[in-house]
Amino acid sequence: MKDEELSILLALNALRQFNGHLISDLKCKSLSLSDLASSPSAIRELTRSEGVIQRWYEMLSKGWHFRELERCRAKGVEILVWGEEGYPSSLDRLPDPPLLLYWWGNSPKLGKAAVALVGTRRCSNYGGRVAFELAFKMAEEGFPIVSGGAYGIDERAHRGALEAGGVSLSVFGTGVDVCYPAKNETLFEGLKERGALISEYPLGTKGMPWNFPERNRIIVGLAEVVVVVEAPIKSGAMITGRIAMECGVELWAVPGRINEGVARGSNLLIFDGAYPLIDVDSFVHLMKGSPEGFLVKEQSEMSLAELNDGERRVYGLLREKGDRTVDNISLECKMTPAQVFTTLTKLESRGLVSATGPGRWGANAFMEGEKGVV
Amino acid sequence: MNRIYGLTLRGIDALPVEVEVCITGGLFSISIVGLADTAVKEARERVRIALGTLGIKLKGHIAVNLAPADLPKEGALLDLPIAVGIAREAGFIPKDVSGIFMGELALDGRLRKVKGGVPAAFLSREMGLPLFIPRGNTPEASMVQGVEVYSCSNIAELFSHLRGESRLKKLDFTLPKAKVVEVEPDFADIKGHVAAKRGMEIAAAGHHNLALIGAPGSGKTMLAKALRGILPPLSDEELIEVMRIRSARGVSIEVERTRPFRPVHHTASVVALCGGGTDLRPGEISLAHRGVLFLDEITEFRRDVLEALRQPLEDGCITVSRAAGSIVYPASVLLVTASNPCPCGYLGDSERNCTCSPGDIERYSRKLSGPILDRIDLKLQIPRLTPDELLELDGAAESSFEIRQRVIKARALQIERWGPFGVKCNAELRENMIKKHLGLSKNGRAFLKSLGTAFKLTGRGFSRVLKVARTIADLAGDKTVDEPHLAEALAYRGGFFFER
Repeated sequence: MKDEELSILLALNALRQFNGHLISDLKCKSLSLSDLASSPSAIRELTRSEGVIQRWYEMLSKGWHFRELERCRAKGVEILVWGEEGYPSSLDRLPDPPLLLYWWGNSPKLGKAAVALVGTRRCSNYGGRVAFELAFKMAEEGFPIVSGGAYGIDERAHRGALEAGGVSLSVFGTGVDVCYPAKNETLFEGLKERGALISEYPLGTKGMPWNFPERNRIIVGLAEVVVVVEAPIKSGAMITGRIAMECGVELWAVPGRINEGVARGSNLLIFDGAYPLIDVDSFVHLMKGSPEGFLVKEQSEMSLAELNDGERRVYGLLREKGDRTVDNISLECKMTPAQVFTTLTKLESRGLVSATGPGRWGANAFMEGEKGVV
Repeated sequence: MNRIYGLTLRGIDALPVEVEVCITGGLFSISIVGLADTAVKEARERVRIALGTLGIKLKGHIAVNLAPADLPKEGALLDLPIAVGIAREAGFIPKDVSGIFMGELALDGRLRKVKGGVPAAFLSREMGLPLFIPRGNTPEASMVQGVEVYSCSNIAELFSHLRGESRLKKLDFTLPKAKVVEVEPDFADIKGHVAAKRGMEIAAAGHHNLALIGAPGSGKTMLAKALRGILPPLSDEELIEVMRIRSARGVSIEVERTRPFRPVHHTASVVALCGGGTDLRPGEISLAHRGVLFLDEITEFRRDVLEALRQPLEDGCITVSRAAGSIVYPASVLLVTASNPCPCGYLGDSERNCTCSPGDIERYSRKLSGPILDRIDLKLQIPRLTPDELLELDGAAESSFEIRQRVIKARALQIERWGPFGVKCNAELRENMIKKHLGLSKNGRAFLKSLGTAFKLTGRGFSRVLKVARTIADLAGDKTVDEPHLAEALAYRGGFFFER
């Protein structure tokens, strides 16, 4: 595609009036992009809104579209246009696929089917850990992890994928060059290197509240499977879940405690027909397409042999009974607090346990030999 | 020439004030010159009436000069030297009387207790003059060795001594016996919290600064209060340092060997904490010298207050400089801070949900990880126990006394090891000493190397872990620092909140 055409597309996209179907519309109306460039008034064939038309004139007269293209080139942001090569075809499942995507990072060959992990920003410890673990294990199997780059579940999911050395895509509700939230800057650097930052908004777009629900459809569109890890009733992740259901994308939700508001939405999705994700290993197994299907197997006791007696006792206790305080552990394992601390540090260094709250410890599902110190 | 001296306090030092009196003829009047404050100027009435009780009638114009003339003098403690000076000049006591006098006069001739007993005793030793004090100041002044101190309850007693009619008894040098008051709460009264108790034992043994993090109601404040019960008793030298500050400040003086514990509220100003004001008072950090300074809800403190604590925490002393001059106060404290993990307090709680937004938590933790955190070796997390967990705990716990014995032993080992380097405890170790003399075993070194990368330790983080591990080894009586010690020390680096 010629630069001129591409820049016209950028301008059309910036009007926020058109989706991917515009390309076929243009064909029907036998308009070409160069026509629009040479006679801007042709826009009247596409929209009647005077406000939009005025903005269109303004942009073209100031040459915004050329500068936008230059900026993209300078930064190395790719532009993927609907119907062209590279544009993820899975987005066509959406009723309104984006006209184009700003894609900053590795070239968009996803390989395996992507898995979207979404959830609330104010996640519980439990939710955060599940997101991390799920992302870690899926990424390890080569599945790209798609999420939204926000705090909470999104962040944990991205980090899990990166930690496993996998690929992760982050879909922004802002321009790809806008670091939001700012604290995740280093995470985004990592994503750019090993995945990509994606957005349909022009560079420099600030995060408006209505952008985020809109971008959620792209998360769904990029993934083969959507997992809602933890979400209250009113949350963006619920919107993502609904979109997935409407588009017929396979939807999973992680069951949460029923007396906690933070998991009410995700539980509701299960009631509405999402698959309950009751075991991480089995889920990974299923996604790999293994013939046995969804099987909750006994946890394998692989390679715990290297642990000494005390370490095995503590790990076993945390594994079986959930989070424990050091007090509990020392009582139940009959160890002094000093021994408990020593043991916990050793287990933590192997990625087997981690602190889950003030003075509380819980087992990670990671097995010996894997990375994953949170 | 025999002179009469009084004194005035400046910081924790007493400065000599020479009292000169001249009586000339004329109508009766007393005038006092020499930068005296109101309390001193008013002394003339007290002095006149108190001397009157002895049947002494003053006549003529009496001029009292307090020298040096440019030193501001304050407080009623100059009553007595003025009275003695006038009486001597008027011929009621012998001309060869000399000494340092301090005390406030009551109208009936009694002597009231004043602040500054310990500094006065030091001054007396320095000048080689006898010191006369009110009876109420006896315990403080008798703590200093090599001083000739007399205490008297009224001016009549003193004058008959000065005239040689009856002798006052010279005070004996008596350091209070090794009385250690058991503090409330005792560790035996605290249910559960074995993890926190272990951490506090280490902090006490190595004099490591300590941070307690936990939800509201998890018992942080109670634990902090119990800490001084397991600290070793003050040594003779330390006791005098502590008493000197307290005496100069005039705070209640109970002579005991239990270390001071000063809780500071978060509304405290820089001056309240570090010292200052027109009279250059010592602040809370100096009153907590050789003891515990407890900052509850540390995140609520103003930033400038925390910043001001940096230097004294590093140097063990604080310089208070104002227009009136500058004074160096000792300020060697064990800092204990308490804080919630997030603004609402329930981050990571097992039952309640945290209601803070991620941005709130981010801002909060930034506040927490400010200037002070670098100086804290141990970060303990205090879990809020559920009712079930509370019931599960059984009663028997070690008493503060038992724990203290272990702490004392560990401290003795440290003094023996670090004495030649001029350091008393592991917390004060300097970088080169950690490198050369810590006694890190080969195994330990390899272990630390592998875990250091796993836990992403920084340079400062490494030395903190090493110092704490040294203390753990000392508690166990081990010569070398080995793998288990290091592993335990790593558990106190507070990973969950500080290294996310």
